[in-house]
Amino acid sequence: MDRVIGLIAANFETKDMGELTEERTVASLPYGGAYRVVDFAISNMVNSGIKTLGLITPYKYRSIIDHVGAGKAWDLDRKNGGLFVLPGSVFGIQSENSHFLLRDIRRNKVYLDRSPSPYILITAANVISHMDYRPLIVEHIKSGADITVVYNTCDRDEPHRLGVNVEDGRVTGFKPNPKKYEDAMLDTFIISRELLMKIMEWYAAVDYLDFFEAIEGDLDKMDVRAYKYDGYARQMFTARDYFEYSMEVLNLDVAAELFSRDRPIATKAAESAPAKYLEGAKVRNSMVTAGSLIEGEVDHSILFRGVHVCKGAKVKNSIIMQHCVIEEGAVVENVILDKSNVVKAGAVIKGTGDATYIMS
Amino acid sequence: MVNKKPFIAMLLAGGQGSRLGALTKHIAKPAVSFGGKYRIIDFALSNCANSHIDTVGVLTQYRPYLLNTYIGTGSSWDLDSHDGGVAILPPYATETGGQWYAGTADAIYQNLDYINLYDPDYVIILSGDHIYRMDYRQMLRTHIENNADLTIAVMTVPWEEAPRLGILAADESGKIYDFEEKPAKPKSNLASMGIYIFSKKVLEDSLIADSRDPDSEHDFGKNIIPTLLGQGKRLFVHRFEGFWKDVGTIPTFHETSMDLLEAEPQFDLMSEDFPTLTQDDSLPPHYVGPKGSVERAFVGNGSIVLGKVEHSIVSNGCTVEEGATVTDSILLPNVTVEKGAKVIRAIVGEGATVKAKATFGSADTAEPIAVVGDDAVVE
Repeated sequence: MDRVIGLIAANFETKDMGELTEERTVASLPYGGAYRVVDFAISNMVNSGIKTLGLITPYKYRSIIDHVGAGKAWDLDRKNGGLFVLPGSVFGIQSENSHFLLRDIRRNKVYLDRSPSPYILITAANVISHMDYRPLIVEHIKSGADITVVYNTCDRDEPHRLGVNVEDGRVTGFKPNPKKYEDAMLDTFIISRELLMKIMEWYAAVDYLDFFEAIEGDLDKMDVRAYKYDGYARQMFTARDYFEYSMEVLNLDVAAELFSRDRPIATKAAESAPAKYLEGAKVRNSMVTAGSLIEGEVDHSILFRGVHVCKGAKVKNSIIMQHCVIEEGAVVENVILDKSNVVKAGAVIKGTGDATYIMS
Repeated sequence: MVNKKPFIAMLLAGGQGSRLGALTKHIAKPAVSFGGKYRIIDFALSNCANSHIDTVGVLTQYRPYLLNTYIGTGSSWDLDSHDGGVAILPPYATETGGQWYAGTADAIYQNLDYINLYDPDYVIILSGDHIYRMDYRQMLRTHIENNADLTIAVMTVPWEEAPRLGILAADESGKIYDFEEKPAKPKSNLASMGIYIFSKKVLEDSLIADSRDPDSEHDFGKNIIPTLLGQGKRLFVHRFEGFWKDVGTIPTFHETSMDLLEAEPQFDLMSEDFPTLTQDDSLPPHYVGPKGSVERAFVGNGSIVLGKVEHSIVSNGCTVEEGATVTDSILLPNVTVEKGAKVIRAIVGEGATVKAKATFGSADTAEPIAVVGDDAVVE
């Protein structure tokens, strides 16, 4: 029997992503040229030895179900355990901006009831990290804590994350809108299954609350500990987060950590030939994915699969999602180009440094 | 009970491919990396998948470990079905002892039980050595229309290449009346591609007869085909027009690889209507650094290019460090070219390292292509 099963809340929804999440959820946002945001949570779970994984899906579930399928990419297509695609509790605006809605967990009580595993590791799907959960699991079990939450120190103001007060390794309170250098949750925690079931009962009447909102008043009665994660970790809440954090993979140190060959981040397989460069290609400080064809210039940008940059076209400081075509002589700068867009020959599309232009 | 499969494939993947030298020292030729992310056997396996053949026996013999691991359940080619799928068929022992595959025909003969398990009407015999795209269903149609016993895929080749190949002569209807293996004076330039469709009964009978012939080399080209021809069986050609290449020597391997880089290549790796499938490695996109430059090249996922790549293939997972240059070369997967090193007109084996400031290869076209094997270190 496995000691820990996983639960990923992939139903976080927000209006702050604008057009990017019109047809998809934050969890299924394309990221890093070849991935979806949820790949990190799923892969980290699997790479930490978790073989049973529940995925709470959002209202706009098409893109995420299409992506995870039966979990084959993560070896989760198992007879025993494997991937469980779970429904979210409420559809629409009520789950807007909530992190772990009690209802979502309650709705999936059967998933928890049936499991013989004593611990549950719960994480949000919008965390980009290469975290190994095993030390967290070990520490939680050793300490005998009721709940162990993962946190880190903000390196900028993080109005959408949940701040956390930590004293001597214990969580003593939460506060919204954490500022730079303050501690904030990474929306990842481990809890014993039994306690989680009890909490579901205790707070049944207020299950519209966020998990941490609900338990805040009882922090003095519970043993809630904090586990600091020092590795690279980002949480995506807004379109600006998406652009800035996506571009950070152009930093080789960040890329080396996130895409380390041990405990690799896996994603749904897509067949493409290697990227092809023709005469006249000029690519600098960029990530380019298989299946792309480069004849023009690309600078400080991320190109997803099957992107065609034609002769004389220029792409700068942009994210170009799969199967886009930048025709001859076109210029694209400070832009997020969503899937399968064609920028016509000679066209110029520019955002500003502050306001990235999103073409959906 | 195994369901009947009307059409199954047997893929010969046991050859060493000794003319590839250092590249096949540790692995069989079908397992050699090609085109940045593929292995040579991917092309035949993808043809099977794209031709909707879902039962494939892969015959292995020479250093099969990597090949066996690579093929696995066949899921990379969607061949992991409950009904059929890929079976890896190494030589095995029976109550009368076991023996190595003595030739291509013997390899199939020893696996007649596997073939009979599926009770097929037709069996296609393939080689895992060639780069091409072919819909085997069209060839099967030719076979059935001709009511043939054996159909051989053929293509016209330049006359000077004919003496190295199996050469056929066929009448207007496509009926074969002459076959010569590697003729000194070829009478035709119609060459066998080593792809055969047999009606199953003919295959079985001829293999059993051949197994009892002590003088036979148990080879399709040398023994089975001439014998069937002599018996007056219905042998037909299936004409193939398209790209087909045996990358069995270093010069052809290099030349064929370089042609992929053309804007209009003879063989387009990027074609999406008949995709080449391969094992996916979960690698991130490749990265080109601030001082990197890449032109006329293929670059695989997971690679990092900080130096200069010109007219070359940089396969998955390679690193070209700052100040290093790679020209007219093929880096097989996971190669590192250290700072300031130069690689020119070379093939660098998987996992090999070219040390800082070293030079490997020569721009002089009178020199042979430089080759170094897997995991080697070039100082």
